[in-house]
Amino acid sequence: MIQFQNVTKKYGTHNALDNVNLRIEPGEFVSVVGQSGAGKSTLLKLIFAEEPVDSGKLLIDGIDIHELADRDIPYLRRKMGVVFQDMKLLPRRTAFENVAFAMEVAGYSREKIQRDVPKILEIVGIAEKMQNFPDEMSGGEKQRVAIARALAHKPILLLADEPTGNLDEINSNEILDLLHKINQLGTTVMLATHARDLVNKVKKRVITIEKGHIINDQQHGLYQL
Amino acid sequence: MESLAIYRVFKNGLRNFWRNILLSTAATLIMVITLMILTVTAFVLNLSNTTIKKVQERVDVSAFFNQQVSEKQILSIKSDIEQLPETQSVTYISADQALADFKARNANNSAILDSLGEFDQNILPASLQVKAKSLDQYPQIEQALNADQYKPFISKVNFEDNRAVIDRLSHLLHTFKEIGLGLAALFCFIAILVIFNTIRLTIYNRREEVEIMRLVGATNWYIRWPFIIESILYSVFAAVITFVLLIPIWNYVIPSIGGFLGLPASQVVGFDLAEMFLAQLLLALVLGVLSSLFAIRKYLRV
Repeated sequence: MIQFQNVTKKYGTHNALDNVNLRIEPGEFVSVVGQSGAGKSTLLKLIFAEEPVDSGKLLIDGIDIHELADRDIPYLRRKMGVVFQDMKLLPRRTAFENVAFAMEVAGYSREKIQRDVPKILEIVGIAEKMQNFPDEMSGGEKQRVAIARALAHKPILLLADEPTGNLDEINSNEILDLLHKINQLGTTVMLATHARDLVNKVKKRVITIEKGHIINDQQHGLYQL
Repeated sequence: MESLAIYRVFKNGLRNFWRNILLSTAATLIMVITLMILTVTAFVLNLSNTTIKKVQERVDVSAFFNQQVSEKQILSIKSDIEQLPETQSVTYISADQALADFKARNANNSAILDSLGEFDQNILPASLQVKAKSLDQYPQIEQALNADQYKPFISKVNFEDNRAVIDRLSHLLHTFKEIGLGLAALFCFIAILVIFNTIRLTIYNRREEVEIMRLVGATNWYIRWPFIIESILYSVFAAVITFVLLIPIWNYVIPSIGGFLGLPASQVVGFDLAEMFLAQLLLALVLGVLSSLFAIRKYLRV
């Protein structure tokens, strides 16, 4: 589904990603690990077409996404969901409204939004906090809302960039379990993290990045730095 | 564009407007001031043009003929004068016509009318009224009428040289025009700056929303249009407010200026209310949308 062919990404003279080759199949659960600045976030940003590729090809479903016209990028993004360490929830909107907002943008009808949002919040396990504002929720709960929002437009790929970075161990584990559940429901998941314990528990594919290079890619890997 | 998306874009634009009501008010008011100044400038420009034209129309050279000169003779001189390159028109006023005009002018003055009765024949002379193509050509026409060949027929050539007065008037009105246009340009500029900054602030206020919109795959126009709609709202409100504020001027000031100049109100300004409103609305929209597009381009990396 995702294919990196000799992809290089530079920031100034520094190579954030250097000649990366990578293939990710539909339905996989992939952890991308490495220290801060190793290139994990850059990898995700390229897939999300937030940053352009400097050289090489990046194919998603066979399309070189950096050949896409600017006006087509939003439609590419609707195939994906993203989750960040800082959640990026709208503070003056309730959990329900935060998820509904994403669905409105994607052009869903009001009826569908009213019907689907509670279901999605149910899946992420936060249905009872539907009418609460982000300030009234714990970090783990907020991240669940963020995941619900990322799932709202039914993406085929979920990108999670340090989703547990601000969470304690228990909450981190719960978020990880949730990502697993989403993966089992058929969505490809890419998780970028530097949390060793988390990754070691996953027992799925682990890609290790160091200084812009993939130094390890194991089907049932462990965190190796 | 689906209708649902259009509805949501409008809803967002309206919400931006109301959430930043103070900013919106400031932008609208600046636009009202700009429109007022532009409209008043347009009034003054039009009025000065009308006035100058009106005064110029009153300038002419008249040649009065001796009593015994035949109409045929006068008409031949008339055609001579019409040949002059400076001449725009020549009007022949016969002695009978002059008497009738005189009686009409003094219809209320019985003393004058009575004194006319003292004469057993018409003492008013026939005359030619000559208009030049432009003000500075009157001296040539006056000279031509004073030529030796006409001396036996023409008793008097009358040209009151008020060109100096007219020059001064048109100079004054020209200055008004320039000040008006200068102020108008200045306020257009201020309006653009204020709207630009207002939209920039709304973009800043909503940067999280904009970021999330991008993350969840909002199209660029879906992100941009609420801001454009917001500036359209400033423009429409400003045009309506300006229009309402100008109605008293329209109803009281313009007719009294018209009365002073002896003109119908419609000629004083040269346009009607609907035209004025449309022009204001159009101008407001151009100002508003241009400055918001500029702000969006600069601060919304979509």
